Amino acid sequence: MWDGLVIGGGLAGLTAGIRALERGKKILIVSEGVGSLAFAGGVLDFGRVRELRRLEKHPYAYVGEAAQRAFSYFLQHNPAYTGTWGRQGSVLTPLGTLRETEILPRRLDASPLFKANRIVVAVPEGLKDFFPEIVKANLQKQFPSGSVRLKRLSVQEFADWRAAGKSIPGTVYAEFWGTERGKTALKRYIGEIAGEIAGKTAGEADSEAIVFPGLPAIGCPELEEVLGETSLPVVGMTSFPPSAIGLALYDSLTRKVKALGGELLNGVGVDRVEVESTWARRAIIRSKGKETALRAEAFVLATGGFLGRGLIATPAEVKETVFGLPLYVPPVRGGSSFLGEQPYARTGVEVDDRLRPRDPATGEVLLENVFVAGRILAHWDPWLEHCGGGVSLSSGLLAGELL
Amino acid sequence: MARYSAQVVIIGGGATGVGILRDLSLRGISSVLVEQGDLAHGTSSRFHGLLHSGARYAVKDPVSATECIEENKILKHIAPGCVDTTGGWFVQLPGDEVDYAEAWLKGCETAGIPVQEVPLREALQREPLLAKEAARVFEVPDAAVDGFKLVWENAKSARRYGGRYLTYHRVEAILREGEGVAGVRGENLLTGESFTVEAGIVVNATGAWADRLAASAGASLEVVRDKGILLAFNHRLFHRVINRLRPPGDGDIFVPHETITILGTTSEWVDTPLDNQPTGREVERMMALGKALLPAIAGKRVIRAFAGVRPLHRSDSELAGGSDGGMGREVSRTFALIDHEAEDGVKGFLSIVGGKFTTYRLMAEKVSDWVAAKLANDVPCRTATEPLQPELPAHLSRQAKVLLPCAAAGKMLQRLGQDAVPVLEAIARDPGKGELLCECEMVTVAEVEKIVADEDAHHLADVRRKTRLGMGTCQGAFCTYRALPLMWREGGKYDPLSEELVRFLNQRWKGIRPVLWGDQLRETELTRAIYAGLLALRESGTNGDGGTLCGMD
Repeated sequence: MWDGLVIGGGLAGLTAGIRALERGKKILIVSEGVGSLAFAGGVLDFGRVRELRRLEKHPYAYVGEAAQRAFSYFLQHNPAYTGTWGRQGSVLTPLGTLRETEILPRRLDASPLFKANRIVVAVPEGLKDFFPEIVKANLQKQFPSGSVRLKRLSVQEFADWRAAGKSIPGTVYAEFWGTERGKTALKRYIGEIAGEIAGKTAGEADSEAIVFPGLPAIGCPELEEVLGETSLPVVGMTSFPPSAIGLALYDSLTRKVKALGGELLNGVGVDRVEVESTWARRAIIRSKGKETALRAEAFVLATGGFLGRGLIATPAEVKETVFGLPLYVPPVRGGSSFLGEQPYARTGVEVDDRLRPRDPATGEVLLENVFVAGRILAHWDPWLEHCGGGVSLSSGLLAGELL
Repeated sequence: MARYSAQVVIIGGGATGVGILRDLSLRGISSVLVEQGDLAHGTSSRFHGLLHSGARYAVKDPVSATECIEENKILKHIAPGCVDTTGGWFVQLPGDEVDYAEAWLKGCETAGIPVQEVPLREALQREPLLAKEAARVFEVPDAAVDGFKLVWENAKSARRYGGRYLTYHRVEAILREGEGVAGVRGENLLTGESFTVEAGIVVNATGAWADRLAASAGASLEVVRDKGILLAFNHRLFHRVINRLRPPGDGDIFVPHETITILGTTSEWVDTPLDNQPTGREVERMMALGKALLPAIAGKRVIRAFAGVRPLHRSDSELAGGSDGGMGREVSRTFALIDHEAEDGVKGFLSIVGGKFTTYRLMAEKVSDWVAAKLANDVPCRTATEPLQPELPAHLSRQAKVLLPCAAAGKMLQRLGQDAVPVLEAIARDPGKGELLCECEMVTVAEVEKIVADEDAHHLADVRRKTRLGMGTCQGAFCTYRALPLMWREGGKYDPLSEELVRFLNQRWKGIRPVLWGDQLRETELTRAIYAGLLALRESGTNGDGGTLCGMD
């Protein structure tokens, strides 16, 4: 018998699990996939929490002050990240435009660029999905008073990739920078740039900055040491999926689960949960052709939205895949402009302020010991409201405290 | 102000317009074609891509049936690279009128359409997804045709013979001189500059816009705009074209193309050529209709819905039918050539309307015959015999397979034909250019670079039409991003970058919006995560409903 069974191993599920483990609970996380951190570029958007909280039924309205607690909690446990409650920081998008966010890896903090009058963009040879000329043009547009130049970086280790006509994924580059050879190459490269600059401007080094794509901005302290030795600020970038930083965050969260004595079953989906009256009792998982029943005192439902398959839509209806919970479903799914309001995005499970699922028609609490967290919650849109990380973290944290 | 002069100006860059351009060019008549968007952006690419055998019209429209089978044979000969000779079946289901089959067989025989009955057991083995209760199955020489490609090959062939075309040029007025026409005047939509083409003959091949253009020159013409919606599925569900053996109706044709299948279509009269947005209800209805031939349809992934507007000609004698919905099939699908001198006293002005994609060449031939007669040119028509593209040398295919994976090599050769030569050279020089930029449709970096460099590519959507980039399963989620630097490098064809991206995403969205379920909804969430989240793109400088962005597509 588990104290808590968490269904779903993305940001919300892992956060719930970790928080409950810290409280001494015996926790099992069952996950079919690996969440969507690899798509998020490693930053956590909180959005305008105070305004969003005022929207009726928005997840922030239910989690209340847990949003701010989640913010501090994450920063406390992830020293590679930075952020200030109520304020936005800037990071570079993969195209070199600026994007605002709330919690970001220190290495990605773009603020040195605002002070720089000279920006050097590192161009690691063959880096996949990185377009130096576009990045340069966008930086130039955003920092018109400074100069921007590109500087190629040739890495011997990838010569055979290049010869075969293959570009090098960001994840492969990121791994390389963490190795001894990688660190040496990086040191030499940054030294070269520093040398060139010193030759030109003597004494004005603080107005220079290097933009460096594909760095493993978290989870690699030795590399941070190397970068810390240089007097030039080195600004990393978010990257096109899969993001090495997002994957590193995922890894660090799963390691944390294990370090705290939690169990994580990956690649296993929950087929159904047996319910007695308003209490969930046993989750049935199907693995290697046989069914296994897992009993728990309480459950967290963090299976994700449509992308994570927590919700599945047919032309006629939308279903919640584990409990078959009734959902809020908007009358029309698609809005007219792609990046504008999209009603489908607000589909999901309605909850009370203890994150327990409610019937959208009657408001009645349907299950006493199930807490719902993350993308599967109703009435929000992470892409329009820029609060994907914040809602997942805060509802995950609250669920972990309720378990 | 740009000035051009020619003997003939053709307005409209659909299949008929480029067909006329090629035909006239082959006869040595100097011609300029003017198109307000990209070539083939309208009805010529918004159909099911069926190269009719004529069997669909065998009972009700014997003239069309005969025209279709003849043109079917001709196109297979002159444009083998644009036609996939899949063959087609007509399938009778229980409940379908039994007598119709007999009338149909007779009609096919009269029109000269070869028909062969397929034993049921064999049919179900060859098409496992076909409804098990099929009663009778007949094979005919239907085929799949790539509308974009056929139009471009006509244009390129015409250019080799001196024909010229101006894309993104909108005609604002037909110039008059006495009782006749003297050319056209309009605006280059890319530069805002005005232009004129002086020509003694003006051909109106604007399809669904034809009546409006004719009216602007004081000529009368009645066009019925008949909207048909289509669904694209992400697999090749059938190996061949599948028709229902009954009087032509809605949702009864499946056509396989490359890796996808298109289900069509409907018939509903609309007021404007721009009414090409399918609604959720129309999509639902199509899914329900398609189920008869493909019972497993509900589980198949629809990647987009789109619609085309057929320009049907309505002559006075046919007015009695009225204009209630569904009447489109009662108006003849044959074409009409209207000499506005005889009809309205406007000399040198001709409209060509109606017809269907399969008969575009025949329509072009008739128009060109008329023009040639006016100009006292007696060079005979050669478009029925002379292939659009010279035959590909065998070593090209070998070379492509050395440089690229087999499937990608084959697809590239089919798309590019002769133009594959510089692409292969680029890949041989730099193997990195052989990397697949679009993994769904297997389009390499070198191929996109080649198309982008083409003087006719002005927008990402133009590149899409020529390469199928963004037309596969991911509907552009990844390749849109990857194509950006290629467009950008070619001398800033658009600016600013993000506006073009937003425009392209909204064009793609139009077709995805009505099919938001299953994996396509998942894909939407992912695409929004990338473009709205990661890249922080916003709607900018648009009216917020995407309407004006999509008018041309």
